Amino acid sequence: MESESTLPDWASKPCIMGIDEAGRGPVLGPMVYGCLYCARSYEKTLSTLNFADSKTLKEEKREELFEKLKANELIGWAVDVIDPRELSAKMLRKIKINLNEISHDSASGLVTRVLNMGVLLTDVRIFFSLKRMWVFPLMHAYLAVYVDTVGDPEKYRIKLSERFPSIKFVVAKKADSLYPVVSGASIVAKVTRDRALRDWVLDETAENMTRNFGSGYPGDPETKSWLEKHQHSVFGFPSLVRFSWGTCTSYSKNMVEVVWESDKTEEDGSSSSSGKRQLKLSSFGVTTSKRKSEEIGSSGKSRCKFFQSRKLEQLANF
Amino acid sequence: MGLDGNSKAGITGTINQKKSETEVPNLTGKVHLLPCCIKYDGPSAVSHYFKPKPTGVEVEEMKVEEAHFRGRKLQGATLPIPNGYSGFVIGKKSPGKRKASDMSEQNSNTWEITAKFDNITYWNHDSLPSKVDAFVRSLHWLSVAEALHKPAAAEDLASASITLEKKR
Repeated sequence: MESESTLPDWASKPCIMGIDEAGRGPVLGPMVYGCLYCARSYEKTLSTLNFADSKTLKEEKREELFEKLKANELIGWAVDVIDPRELSAKMLRKIKINLNEISHDSASGLVTRVLNMGVLLTDVRIFFSLKRMWVFPLMHAYLAVYVDTVGDPEKYRIKLSERFPSIKFVVAKKADSLYPVVSGASIVAKVTRDRALRDWVLDETAENMTRNFGSGYPGDPETKSWLEKHQHSVFGFPSLVRFSWGTCTSYSKNMVEVVWESDKTEEDGSSSSSGKRQLKLSSFGVTTSKRKSEEIGSSGKSRCKFFQSRKLEQLANF
Repeated sequence: MGLDGNSKAGITGTINQKKSETEVPNLTGKVHLLPCCIKYDGPSAVSHYFKPKPTGVEVEEMKVEEAHFRGRKLQGATLPIPNGYSGFVIGKKSPGKRKASDMSEQNSNTWEITAKFDNITYWNHDSLPSKVDAFVRSLHWLSVAEALHKPAAAEDLASASITLEKKR
């Protein structure tokens, strides 16, 4: 997590801020939320600095602009880098947190962070483009939460406004081309994501691991081939990969099945074969194979409560 | 030396303890109990993929560790095998040179110790380790069993009868 140095004088004047994201769609690597802010009076000058949507710029140009805005004392910025392990873990929790909640939390986390630094934020502009992957999951969120209109940036605005009543939020389609603060934020986010992936140190230490991740987008041939080569029958993938992505399920046929205790209650009795397998497992675990004892039938219910609650059973067949 | 395990089903198993202590590998710190069933039995590059890290957090006197498996976050703690007990990995003993015809099903049920361990790390999905976890509680059995099987001393009997008296 990086951010800028001590609070400059202009930060106590009314400020505007843009927020954008990078790496929401990819199946691997971190997702990054970036923000850029400046005094409202500086916005006109900002538009002369040639920030454009990071996706329309070449990588070198983005890097150059990022260095430029970092050196500019009249601009502040911050990023929130969300580790792929955190994305997978949250999305696969017992009570799942979807990507929209993670995104909203990250965006509002940035607002909070900048406010806490003492910056007088009055306007925040957030990127919302129909072209990006962003929109589809958002629609989903709105469907789930509001059940009426679909994909309305207004709902997102209201949600944020309720959380930060003193700030005026603009959640606009193509905000990046309309507002230079958002273009700047998109550069901050995109460059941070690219660098994070470029410098990524794999946690796993197995042999023959490479770092030719490609862009991380599921359609990228380089990403596909990396996934292909780095799948593991027991562990799945290195933890750089977002296990919660649909892309990963297409590889599951090559992998050993894993049945989680936490998933079991929902799919109780779903397959007799898995029950049989558990029986076999239990015959090895002297004490605590932690599956639900009731599933085995006879052995569980007749047992004394002391043993039941500790998931202990007598071992008869060794 | 051997341990005989007589079960209700009448099957007898033997665990050969000869190769203990120094001869077998020590897996202390490498035995993990996961909150899932991995439908695989065999070797795997565990230490290359499964990387528990200390969190610095301590709950109920247990040092919380963190690891990830298949994208899920696990929180766990390492517990020592209680005093007076040892952890063993046992494997089915290969029949050796004896002819197959000599072997009835019963006496082929011989196991041997292939590794030992002094602690075990158990993992929860999404929840901090706690003293109420079934695994931690399962160790209670050891002291209960000890109390149950200990020969009763005269004073124990005396105090027990006093207690019974009071209940009446």
